Amino acid sequence: MPLGALYVDAIALLEAADVDVSPLRNGGRKLVFDAPDGTVFITTRPSDVPTYVEAGSADIGIVGRDVIIERRPDVYELLDLRFGECRMVYATAAGQDPTPEVIARLGVVRVATKYPRVAEAHFLATGRQVELVKVTGSVELGPLVGLADGIVDLVATGRTLRENGLVEREEIFHSSARLIANRVSHKLRAEDIDALIARLAQAVAAEST
Amino acid sequence: MHSVHTLNVSPTDTTTPAAGALPSGARDVLPVEAAELRGVEDALRGAFARYGYREVRTPVVEYAHQLERAESGGLDRAYRLFDEAGRVLVLRPDMTIPVARLIATRLSEHPGPIRVSYTGSSFRVPQPGKPVASEHRHAGAELVGADGPEADAEAVLLLWEALRDAGLAGARIGLGDVSVTDAVLGGLQIPVDARARLSKAAEDRDLVAWRAEAAAAEMSAPHQELLAGLPAMRGHAEVLETVARVVPEAAAACDRMVRLLGLLDQEGLHDAVLVDLGILRDWSYYSGLVIEAYAAGAALPVAQGGRYDGLATRFGTPRPAVGFSIELESLHRALAGAVARSGLDFGVVLVGGLDDRLAQAAEIRSAGVPVIALSASDRRADALAAAEGWRFVAHPDGQALRIVDRADGTEFVSMRPQEDLPSRR
Repeated sequence: MPLGALYVDAIALLEAADVDVSPLRNGGRKLVFDAPDGTVFITTRPSDVPTYVEAGSADIGIVGRDVIIERRPDVYELLDLRFGECRMVYATAAGQDPTPEVIARLGVVRVATKYPRVAEAHFLATGRQVELVKVTGSVELGPLVGLADGIVDLVATGRTLRENGLVEREEIFHSSARLIANRVSHKLRAEDIDALIARLAQAVAAEST
Repeated sequence: MHSVHTLNVSPTDTTTPAAGALPSGARDVLPVEAAELRGVEDALRGAFARYGYREVRTPVVEYAHQLERAESGGLDRAYRLFDEAGRVLVLRPDMTIPVARLIATRLSEHPGPIRVSYTGSSFRVPQPGKPVASEHRHAGAELVGADGPEADAEAVLLLWEALRDAGLAGARIGLGDVSVTDAVLGGLQIPVDARARLSKAAEDRDLVAWRAEAAAAEMSAPHQELLAGLPAMRGHAEVLETVARVVPEAAAACDRMVRLLGLLDQEGLHDAVLVDLGILRDWSYYSGLVIEAYAAGAALPVAQGGRYDGLATRFGTPRPAVGFSIELESLHRALAGAVARSGLDFGVVLVGGLDDRLAQAAEIRSAGVPVIALSASDRRADALAAAEGWRFVAHPDGQALRIVDRADGTEFVSMRPQEDLPSRR
């Protein structure tokens, strides 16, 4: 279970799919929760979800596509859960986009991001040289204080960008929450997982109508 | 006595490694683990021998261009080095391709079918941030020159028996078939570029991308439904019957797999086998059946394999082939999680065994009991027995031996330890 932005929606969707999520509702600071039916819920930072699933500590997990693309875990990506919708974008300071000028004069654009693989792949695919600055929080700061020319980051509503005087220049991909499974659990617990997928798919379909 | 993993040196760290550090992904194997791994290997070898698979060995280093011939891109994570003439060598990144090379080049006159087995290490550069070793020990078997579902069935059965002999209860074997998927895509006349995207999605195990691609294709509703659900289809023969009914062009490939399942049912493997059309291997050389074996407690399949009829052609001797490779560390990890350690090792630490009691030591060894000999003046017998886990400690007592059985703490005096010790087994 991903803590943070996806957490509430993930619980709501599981509940709609008849999964007993009551232990998660009053957890305090616990990280592992046992449900009466034997299900064990593990809560963690979203970027660590694929790590736990890939290692088999968890059979299945819920995580944003952004994390899957950045981390490239060796797991099954089973279902689009259609919540946590957001977009990976390249943004720079408002006004004229400085990128072409920077590349023409300096040869390389400097980009701050929490997603170095995504950013590198995007600039490689568009034929531009890039210098990546890996940061772990508040990427928006980068262009404002001269750390970088632009940022590659996830936006949901675009409000953080606007409030910090940044403008989206290029969209890289759409993201939403996904159901992932460990390669071995997906086979050893095939019946359980297929049944859960069917119920989740129904709940997702009901949600979107 | 403990191997410390954090001492491994990161590949991007250019400072001189600390004393005792090993390259990233490398590790030592200490006595307890080595003995257990040896036991697993022996069990697997026994199963291979029972079916007449004879052991072969290939060198650890090969020419890169030789192996690249078998699979473009297969050397992505190989360790490379140069020979004295500047040619690129690799530490073998996999066992299947060198064994296929050996069979095609050294056994080309063999009338067939050829049955060979192997046990050995292959090497891959570990990926940063993932707890993966650089050296992988594999045991595997190859059946070359035999076509048809009967040969496939022998491979699956041998794999299952080998895992069972190694002590793995309840292994599950997943079976996919790239020729079924191929025939479906062909039958539905999927254009080349869409096929490439579907195949990428299958390799990434991204069923969401597969369904999106299927939804974009133009075809009848039943065809679209089958295509979208194809990699999620699993069960038994009924899965293949459904595929063959909706896409008649795939009937031959499906029928072959149904015959394989029939043979496995006769061998009592019905419940151990799971047909899963989502098992599609990243490696381009598979041509039919794809095999994966799973065990609780192992995060990755403990064995992988399948049919690769085109591989031998690339080394000049076309022959159909089916085989599998068991990942020993992964299998051992699953076994270690399932089976508790047996406790003390049957052996005696004999004070004086190095000098005063040489004859007695020899007699006990002849009776089949390991003797760990110390000199008469050595005071470390108890500490040694505790550190290595030996069951008995013996001190000279006149002509006899005063023996402590560490299993229950009892002490006894024995005139004939070569008889008394074995009787306690």
